Amino acid sequence: MMNYFPDEVIEHIFDYVVSHSDRNALSLVCKSWYRIERCTRQRVFIGNCYSITPERLIQRFPGLKSLTLKGKPHFADFSLVPYDWGGFVHPWIEALAKNKVGLEELRLKRMVVSDESLELLSRSFTHFKSLVLVSCEGFSTDGLAALAANCRFLRELDLQENEVEDHKGQWLSCFPDNCTSLVSLNFACLKGEVSLGALERLVARSPYLKSLKLNRSVPFDALQRIMMRAPQLSDLGIGSFVHDPESEAYIKLKNTILKRKSITSLSGFLEVAPHCLAAIYPICPNLTSLNLSYAAGIQGSDLIKLIRHCVKLQRLLIMDCIGDKGLDVVATSCKDLQELRVFPSVPFGNPAAVTEKGLVAISMGCPKLHSLLYFCHQMTNAALITVAKNCPNFIRFRLCILDATKPDPDTMQPLDEGFGAIVQSCRRLRRLSLSGQLTDQVFLYIGMYAEKLEMLSIAFAGESDKGMLYVLNGCKKLRKLEIRDCPFGNVALLTDVGKYETMRSLWMSSCEVTVGACKLLAKKMPRLNVEIFNENEQEDCSLEDGQKVEKMYLYRTLAGKRKDAPEYVWTL
Amino acid sequence: MAKEGLGLEITELRLGLPDAEHVTVVNKNEKKRAFSQIDDENSSSGGDRKIKTNKSQVVGWPPVCSYRKKNSMNEGSKMYVKVSMDGAPFLRKIDLGLHKGYSDLALALDKLFGSYGMVEALKNADNSEHVPIYEDKDGDWMLVGDVPWEMFMESCKRLRIMKRSDAKGFGLQPKGSLKGFIESAAK
Repeated sequence: MMNYFPDEVIEHIFDYVVSHSDRNALSLVCKSWYRIERCTRQRVFIGNCYSITPERLIQRFPGLKSLTLKGKPHFADFSLVPYDWGGFVHPWIEALAKNKVGLEELRLKRMVVSDESLELLSRSFTHFKSLVLVSCEGFSTDGLAALAANCRFLRELDLQENEVEDHKGQWLSCFPDNCTSLVSLNFACLKGEVSLGALERLVARSPYLKSLKLNRSVPFDALQRIMMRAPQLSDLGIGSFVHDPESEAYIKLKNTILKRKSITSLSGFLEVAPHCLAAIYPICPNLTSLNLSYAAGIQGSDLIKLIRHCVKLQRLLIMDCIGDKGLDVVATSCKDLQELRVFPSVPFGNPAAVTEKGLVAISMGCPKLHSLLYFCHQMTNAALITVAKNCPNFIRFRLCILDATKPDPDTMQPLDEGFGAIVQSCRRLRRLSLSGQLTDQVFLYIGMYAEKLEMLSIAFAGESDKGMLYVLNGCKKLRKLEIRDCPFGNVALLTDVGKYETMRSLWMSSCEVTVGACKLLAKKMPRLNVEIFNENEQEDCSLEDGQKVEKMYLYRTLAGKRKDAPEYVWTL
Repeated sequence: MAKEGLGLEITELRLGLPDAEHVTVVNKNEKKRAFSQIDDENSSSGGDRKIKTNKSQVVGWPPVCSYRKKNSMNEGSKMYVKVSMDGAPFLRKIDLGLHKGYSDLALALDKLFGSYGMVEALKNADNSEHVPIYEDKDGDWMLVGDVPWEMFMESCKRLRIMKRSDAKGFGLQPKGSLKGFIESAAK
């Protein structure tokens, strides 16, 4: 029936389809829909910057306006991928500029971004509006200055967890006086001083500013003046919250806060004196999102006092110094909680921190919970079974036991049955991270029950090749598989090689695969790039087939071998 | 495992020593003795202890992203460790988190204990009366400088600058552990 409509009508209908996967499905229906979808698509997500060339992207989607790109493998976050592996954004910006694409939005994650890239970006796209950089590196405040100076319609500059070289320049001063378009500004990850005068003037002339996240160099009194000038703010990230409670500035801030009912999201407190926290209690009842995972100065009891006031929270990020006792308070106070992330406060875990008891309490008190990242000291099968029963709506379940191979401390059994209960009960699970002592049995459960699983992270688990095979055979929707320190070898790698073309990527490090097996795989599957990292320079001459591979990263690609790989990366 | 991934640094360390093969042998002996002592003291099996040692030094575990490690965890818990020097009448404390590597540490120790012969201990380790060692999170005493800085920083519980004669009794055979660092710092 749809084909009776003229193209204009179909185009109009397609405009209402916004999900990437739905758009992808539309383009596969017939040639006519492929053509219409191609011409009307404005937003594209590319999960691996080496899977396709910029030129091919531009040819396929000439109307591109918004691009999301990811670079390095996820394990780069944990120092397992060398610094100079790749993930450069510059070729992309060059191609987009050269082809005069009307780019308006760019989101990058784990990519290498240079000042040169930012300069080119700032000058090449007339209506550029939005830049989001997450876990990127390679640029400095000089690049930010170029963006501020040249992007006349900039609405969003969101810098999250980037490594930025701070040249102590006055990059905020580079926003022209007629810049009034900002809606979102996040520079919390910058280390250096900023021009407070420039910041306050920028905030004052930005009537649409909704989200502002400050770095630790913005002091208490500047915060008060900013809040006074921007009553419309709904998302605030506080850099420094240290002051004398008897001072005039503190009293002024308290009064300013009493008038502000608009803030629903709060984060930061990168430097904080606990005795100042009472000033923000009036904001708490309206908060739906609270991120104190970088607030190292707020310890258990102060954290608990604060959270007691946050009765509407849907999203909470905290450190494990909250303890099981604090999680009890979360469970009784935050009935609408949907997402919880608990991070370790010290490198190898605080023995007084959270355990299975805290997680069980949360599962009983917060039935809407569907996303979890939980670093803890220990976990039991019984607790996981209880959690699975209480919260069957998990789509993301990431458990990290700080001792990577710890069994259930009550029974000294592996945690297979606990994770088995999770995958059996939570049928919408899309992301899973395992830890603790685990045998092949857990992978059998995952293969059997995790029908919608897209991303799986495995560490120090399994007993034989069967474990990996259960996952590859059973998880039909798997996109990313990350494996480290597991006894999976060549049989597991080579049994179902066609599977990898349906996936985005596979990472294996410290496993049992050999160079020969990787060569064979690469030969069989020419549209996969199989990269071996040979970081030990003592063996830079040749790779013997029987040699074990320390790190292997495999991804499907239409672009072939990349040309920017460093010497120690062998693309087979 | 971690050492394999960081082979370059290990190689660098070895190149600074006069006899690589000899040092390797000595290191093996050192570890064996350490385990034996722990067995006697704690009545725990050597196997378990060894596994724990390996785990605590695994690169990339727990999976906390690098940015968070740098910007959050060190702030929350200052990495103060006690430093003692044989012959000195007092202990000092030092924040490892403030130092970027062994060179920084060597200079800091020099400032703390210079008047008690630290300069000689660091600059001329082969002939010095003192050797820097540290207790790691598993209770083993190790030579300072043998492992990559990040690993050392994460596992160091306290430092001791001990007399050479006592070091031999511990089974430690120090030869220039911080010597290369202090020399490079001097340049």
